[in-house]
Amino acid sequence: MNFLATSIESLGAKVTGWFTVGYGMFAFLATAGLLLLDRTTWNRATFDVVVKQVYFTAVQILHVFMGYVLVISWLIITIILSTARDFGLTAFASEMTIRVLVLELLPFLTALLIALRSGSAINTEVALMQVNNELDALAHCKVPPMQFEFLPRLIGGVVSVVTLAGLAGLLALLMGYLTIYGVSTAGFEPYTQTIAKIFDFTIMAGLIVKCALFGLAVTLIPVTAGLETPKKLFMVPVSVLRGMMRVFFAIVTIEVVSLALKYI
Amino acid sequence: MNKLHFKVGLFAVASLLLAGAFVVYLLHARGFFEDTFHLQLAAASADGVAAGVPVVFSGIEIGRVTTLGLNEEGGIVIRAEFMGRNAKWLRENSTFTLDKPIVGGAKIRVDSPDLDAPALPDDATVLLLTADISKELPVLVERVKAVLDNVEYLTRKDGEINATLANVKTVTGRMTGEYGMLESILGSPEKARAVTDSLDKTRALIGKLDGLAVKVDGMAGKTDQWLFAPDGVAEQTRESLAQIRLMLNDAQSSLKKADALMTNAVEISADVKEGTQDIAALRAEIDDAVSKANALVNKINKMWPFARDPEVKLP
Repeated sequence: MNFLATSIESLGAKVTGWFTVGYGMFAFLATAGLLLLDRTTWNRATFDVVVKQVYFTAVQILHVFMGYVLVISWLIITIILSTARDFGLTAFASEMTIRVLVLELLPFLTALLIALRSGSAINTEVALMQVNNELDALAHCKVPPMQFEFLPRLIGGVVSVVTLAGLAGLLALLMGYLTIYGVSTAGFEPYTQTIAKIFDFTIMAGLIVKCALFGLAVTLIPVTAGLETPKKLFMVPVSVLRGMMRVFFAIVTIEVVSLALKYI
Repeated sequence: MNKLHFKVGLFAVASLLLAGAFVVYLLHARGFFEDTFHLQLAAASADGVAAGVPVVFSGIEIGRVTTLGLNEEGGIVIRAEFMGRNAKWLRENSTFTLDKPIVGGAKIRVDSPDLDAPALPDDATVLLLTADISKELPVLVERVKAVLDNVEYLTRKDGEINATLANVKTVTGRMTGEYGMLESILGSPEKARAVTDSLDKTRALIGKLDGLAVKVDGMAGKTDQWLFAPDGVAEQTRESLAQIRLMLNDAQSSLKKADALMTNAVEISADVKEGTQDIAALRAEIDDAVSKANALVNKINKMWPFARDPEVKLP
């Protein structure tokens, strides 16, 4: 009896914890959104931080990222093509390639890469600032952390993921054309037909919204996880661990929901 | 110059340009910059057709089904949309067929046998034919089943083909025996031997007939003297001569039988070279015998011209 009561109590605590975290995240997002609408937010200093954030999240890793996209696109396109040929379904190969790579796999991998590289860094940084009372100090010096620390990171994350996923998609489209038709213009018409068939307005809008949500997830969740850190140095790794787990679940959830909306 | 800002600026400009180019390309691909061309397809059944079903020409998609519904008379009207640049493939003699393959989705196939024919006007109504392979399959399977049943019946254990093959085997086996073709036709070496023996006997008989004819010659001389004698020898002679004639007729008919037999043998063995050579030799013998018999009959007839047809004819 006692065991049952304890189990129910611990479950209740967990659910309350999830709600608290969820509420904290959405409250933070709402504050950031409201701040975004405020005209005073858009000054030179904020813009500089946004540019820096975009540089460190996207531009700095661009060549590595594109090389990685090149390799994985070529591999997956080749596998899909040879399998389709074996089963006599070549007609569906280009559509399959575009759907798998451009719509699903590349945005997902981009979000994972940004989460691992920038998300973890943001989480650690915010947690350390929280532990070292730097955020309070900034607020005291009339430098609101939301405007100069957090909001630029959110914008940078969203811009980076959307842009990188877009560039990766374009590169994959080019790779797909070259792998299927080679260096000739012969396949331009049918390939254009396939692209036109796949990318209607809803698919394009859905892709952009999905990438933006990915970008938000890989920056918003680490920031809120960092802010939750108790003011003890040894709690910083725990905060990063929790933040990263939440980012992973958020990315998977967004992907699953997008797939369900698209194909069910 | 701030290097960091320059790089971010370059990144932003390149990304925006690429995104803009892609959007323009996409709009072009989706036919945003050109007119659309519409067709109405009248079909007996809309089974398998839905909005989005592609219309293909030579395996390339040139349009899609946009809507489908019923008209006032209860007929099915399928509306398809084409891009302006693809309208040139639609001619007045084009046929539209609904293809429902076993693997893959349904599609409407356009065949334009003559691309010089006048173009279809916008919003024209054409007939949609159906080529449903899944409906044809059961019929095909039934027919194949019937064919297989026949084959099975023909090749059953005690069937005609087996019996025929067994007979052919027996015949060819006999052909390799001592009497060759003759044995294969007659069935056993004993019967073949009987035929050759009877030929030998015929030859001997003809020899005897020759002798008899000499005697008859002698008798004829005497008969000439006695023929008109008053003691009635002619009566007796006539009776005995009638008997000779019967004998000769018998010989003639037996020769005819042998000859008919040989003719059949020659016909059957027409393309068996060795057999034909054997038979040819036999035939020569028979011809010889027959001509001798003919000569004999002629001689007799010269003396007693009461026969109308004195010749033994060979077929």
